Amino acid sequence: MKLGSTLLTAHLWLVLAFLYVPIVVMAVLGFNASPLYALPFEFDPVWYRALTSNTKLIDAGIHSVGIAIVNTIIATTLGTMAALAFARYSFRGKTIMQLLLFPPIAIPWLVIGTAMLVFFFWIDIKRGLFAILLGHVALSLPYVIVVVGARLATFPHAVEEAAATLGATPWQTFRRVTAPLLAPGVIGGGLFAFAVSFDQFVISYFLAPAGVTTLPVEIYGAIRKGFTPEINAISTIIIVVSMGVLLLTARFYRFGGER
Amino acid sequence: MAVADQRNRGTILALTGPAYLWLTVTIFLPLSAMLYCSFLDKSPLVPQPASLTLKHYAAFIERPVYQQLMLWSLELGAVVTICCLIIGYPAALALAKVIKGRWREAMFLMVVLPFWSNALVRTFSWTMVLRPGGLADQAIHVVAPDAPALNLLYSYPAVVVGLVHSYLPYMILTCYISLQAIDDSVIEAARSLGARSGALFRRVVFPMSLPGVLAGSALIFVPAVGSFMEPRILGGAKGATLGMAVEEQFTVTANWPFGAALSFLMLGAVLLICLALYPAARKRMEGL
Amino acid sequence: MSTVTVTDAVKKYDAVAALDSVTMTFREGELFGLLGPSGSGKTTLLRAIAGFVSLDRGQVLIDGQNVGGVPVHARNIGMMFQNYALFPHMSVAENVAFGLEVRGRPREEVARRVNEALAMVRLGGLEQRKPKQLSGGQQQRVALARALVTRPKVLLLDEPLGALDKHLRQEMQVELRRIQRQVGITTIFVTHDQEEALTLSDRIAIFNFGRIIQEGAPMEVYERPVTKFAAGFLGEANFLQGRVTAIEPNGLARVALDLGGEALCRLIGGQAGQTVLLALRPEKIKLSTDSQAGTNAVRGKVLDVVFSGNSTTYRVRVGNQVITLFRQNLAQGTVAPGSEVVLSWSPDHLVQVTP
Repeated sequence: MKLGSTLLTAHLWLVLAFLYVPIVVMAVLGFNASPLYALPFEFDPVWYRALTSNTKLIDAGIHSVGIAIVNTIIATTLGTMAALAFARYSFRGKTIMQLLLFPPIAIPWLVIGTAMLVFFFWIDIKRGLFAILLGHVALSLPYVIVVVGARLATFPHAVEEAAATLGATPWQTFRRVTAPLLAPGVIGGGLFAFAVSFDQFVISYFLAPAGVTTLPVEIYGAIRKGFTPEINAISTIIIVVSMGVLLLTARFYRFGGER
Repeated sequence: MAVADQRNRGTILALTGPAYLWLTVTIFLPLSAMLYCSFLDKSPLVPQPASLTLKHYAAFIERPVYQQLMLWSLELGAVVTICCLIIGYPAALALAKVIKGRWREAMFLMVVLPFWSNALVRTFSWTMVLRPGGLADQAIHVVAPDAPALNLLYSYPAVVVGLVHSYLPYMILTCYISLQAIDDSVIEAARSLGARSGALFRRVVFPMSLPGVLAGSALIFVPAVGSFMEPRILGGAKGATLGMAVEEQFTVTANWPFGAALSFLMLGAVLLICLALYPAARKRMEGL
Repeated sequence: MSTVTVTDAVKKYDAVAALDSVTMTFREGELFGLLGPSGSGKTTLLRAIAGFVSLDRGQVLIDGQNVGGVPVHARNIGMMFQNYALFPHMSVAENVAFGLEVRGRPREEVARRVNEALAMVRLGGLEQRKPKQLSGGQQQRVALARALVTRPKVLLLDEPLGALDKHLRQEMQVELRRIQRQVGITTIFVTHDQEEALTLSDRIAIFNFGRIIQEGAPMEVYERPVTKFAAGFLGEANFLQGRVTAIEPNGLARVALDLGGEALCRLIGGQAGQTVLLALRPEKIKLSTDSQAGTNAVRGKVLDVVFSGNSTTYRVRVGNQVITLFRQNLAQGTVAPGSEVVLSWSPDHLVQVTP
C-alpha cells in the first residue's frame, strides 16, 4: 500500500508536469531574442515590445476584454435571477428547464458556432462583436446558473426568518443578510463567465467578420501563417490573465465539493 | 419551497424569462435553424429560393471519403478518451485518497487551472515542444546524440497529445469528485473483510467511481470527436477530421447545408454511441 | 411583559390539520413548553405566533391585539431557531446589534445594550468572534442574547437545546431558566424532549394531531395524565385494564384487573360494571420477594433486569401482561430473573385515563 501511494503521488506530479511544461516552454521562448526560437536562450523582452506596436492585436485584445466584461455583467445578472427562481420555487417544467442547460455545455462548440452563424444570417444579425457577445452570454449562462445555484442550495434560509423576527423589513433582510451571504456565489459565477468569454475561440471564430476580431481569433490566424515569438508573448499574457481570474474564482467559490 | 400559485408565476417568469429567452435565441433556435438548413438544396447565401432535399445526407452515404472522416473522428475521440482515462484516473485517485489537507487543495487547483485557460493557446504551446528543434527533439538528442532530427509536429500522435492535454483535467475532475465521495469507512470495511489492494480496487473503489469515469468520458468524447482547431494546428493536413470538414463547408466552400448535414450526422453518431452504452452503464451503476 | 392568546386556531396542509381548533392562553412572564411528537402541530403554533404561518381560521392576540395582519418584522417578538440561525458573516457583536440597528437606535445605545446582553449570557470578551469560531453552547447564548436585546414582548424558542449534547443541555437548561426569570419575559418553547419540558416549564401543553391533549403544571400533567397518550408520551407508564366491581363507601373503586388480581383506586364518577383503563408509573411500583398478593398487590415472575446506575429496571410478567418498574439502587441488591415476586402500589398512584 505504501509503495502504491508513492507511485500514485509520483504519477500525479508527472501529470502536472505534462500539463504545465508546454506552457512554461512557450512562456520562456517568448523572452528569447531569436525570431526562430534558436538556442542558446538569450533573454530579451523584444517580443513584448513588439506587441505594443501591433495595433491589430491590441484592438483584438480590447475587444476581448470589453466583450468579457459586458458578458460577465449580463450573464451574471440573468443567471443569478434564474438560479434564484430554481432555488426558491418549485414549478412545472423546472426539471426540463434545468436539463436545457446541458446542450450549451455538451454540444461541440463547432456545431453551436456554425448554427449561430446560420441563424444570425437568417434573422439578419450581422457578424461582429454584438453577435459574438450574444454567443458568449449563451455559453456563460449555464455555468453561472449552476455555480450560483450551488451556493443557493446551501443557503441557510432560517437566517432570513431570524432577521424578520429581529424586526428587519424584507428589504433590510435582503440587503444586510441575503445579499452578503450570496455574494461569494455570485462573484464566483461572474468570474466563471469572464473566463468562459475571455477564452472562447470557436464561437468567436465563426461570428467574427474579417478585420474585427477577438484575441484568440487573431492568434489563430497568426499561428496558421507561421509561428513567431510574438505569439508566445501574447499567449503568455492570455494564460496569465486566465489563470489569475481562475485563482480569484477559487477564492470565492470552492471547487471539488469539499466543505 | 412554495408551490407555484398565480402570484408566484409572475415572479418565476420574470426571473427565468430573460435567461431562457437568451438561450432560445442563441442556442435552441439556431440548432433548429441549422437542422432545417441541412435539408436545403441551396446555400442560404445564394439569393435564389431553395427547396427541401435529402441530397446532403445522401452525399455522405455516396462519398466514402466522408464516412472515412467520420470513422477517423470517432476513433480519435475514443483514443483520446481512453488516454485521458488511463492517465487521469490514477491522478484523481492520488488526489482523492493519498494526498491530504492543504496540499490536496493546492494540487487540485493546479489540475483545474489549465481547465479554463485558453485551449487555443495551450494547443499552440505544444508546437513549441513538438516542432523540429523543440523541447522533445532536444531531449531525445541529450539521450541519443546521433538520432536523426525528430519532427513530431503535424502527425497523428501530436493531435492526440494536444487533445489529451486539453481534456485531461475534465477526467481528473469528474473522477476526483466521485472518488472523494467514497467514504473511507467503506474501504476499511472491505479491508476488514480481507480484501487485498487489487481486489479492493477492482471490486469496491473502481465500481463506486464509475459515475465519474463515465461523466468524464462523455465530456471528453463528444468535443474530441468534433474537434477541428487542434488537428489544424498540430496535425496540419494529415490529421483530417470531420470537424475540419464541417469548418471548411462554412468558411471555405460556403456550402452551409452540407456542413450542417455533416454536423448533425456527427451529433447523431455520438448520440447513438452514448445511447448504446447507456443501458450497460446504468446497470453497473444501480444503487450509486 | 405580555400575554399571548390563541383562539380557535386552524391550519391545514393539504387537508391534514396541523392545528385543529387550538385555543390557549400564555400568561405574563411564564415559561410555557409545547410538547408533542413531530407533526403534532406544536411548531406550527409557534410559527403562527411568530407570523411565519398564516392561520386558516382563528386569531393570535398579543396583549389583546389581533396580530393577524401584522408582518413578522413588526410583531416585536424574539425567536431562537433550532440551529440558532446566527448570521455567519457577522461577528457576535454585530449579530446581537442587528435587531437594534434595523430599528434605527442610536449608536451609543446599541453598543451599551449589546454589552449588557452579552454580559447577561456571560459572553463578554467574545464580541469580535464569528459564529463559526464558537462552540455550540456559545452559539446558543449568542442566539439568546440576540433574541432578547430588542426587549421583545414574547420570546419563542424552537427546540432551543436540541443541537447540544446531553451534558451541555442540562447546563443550558439551568442557564435559560435563570435568564428567563431575570428578564421576566413571556416565553414559549417547543420541544419533543419530555425531560426538557418538565425541567424548564412553568406550564406545559401536550399536542397530538394538531390538538391540545392536556395542559397544566408539569407535575400535575405528569402525575394526573388524562389520556393514555399523555401518560405514555410524558414519562413511561404501565396500562392496566379492568372492570369496576364495586364502589366502596370511602369513594374508592374496586377493580378486577384483566391481568389477574384486584385493585383499589379513585375514579371520576365510576360505577360498577364499567371497564376502566388505569395508568401506573414504573417508579411507583414496589417489588418484594416476601410479601403476599392481595389488593393492589399482584404476583409475577421477573423476566429481565437492566442495571442503569441510579436505578434498576425490571420487567415482570404478571398474568398475560409485562409490567415495567424502576427500583432505586439502595443496598438491597438485585432480584435475579426467574424469581417469583410481588408487585404492589398505593391506590393514589393508579390514574384513570381515557384510551
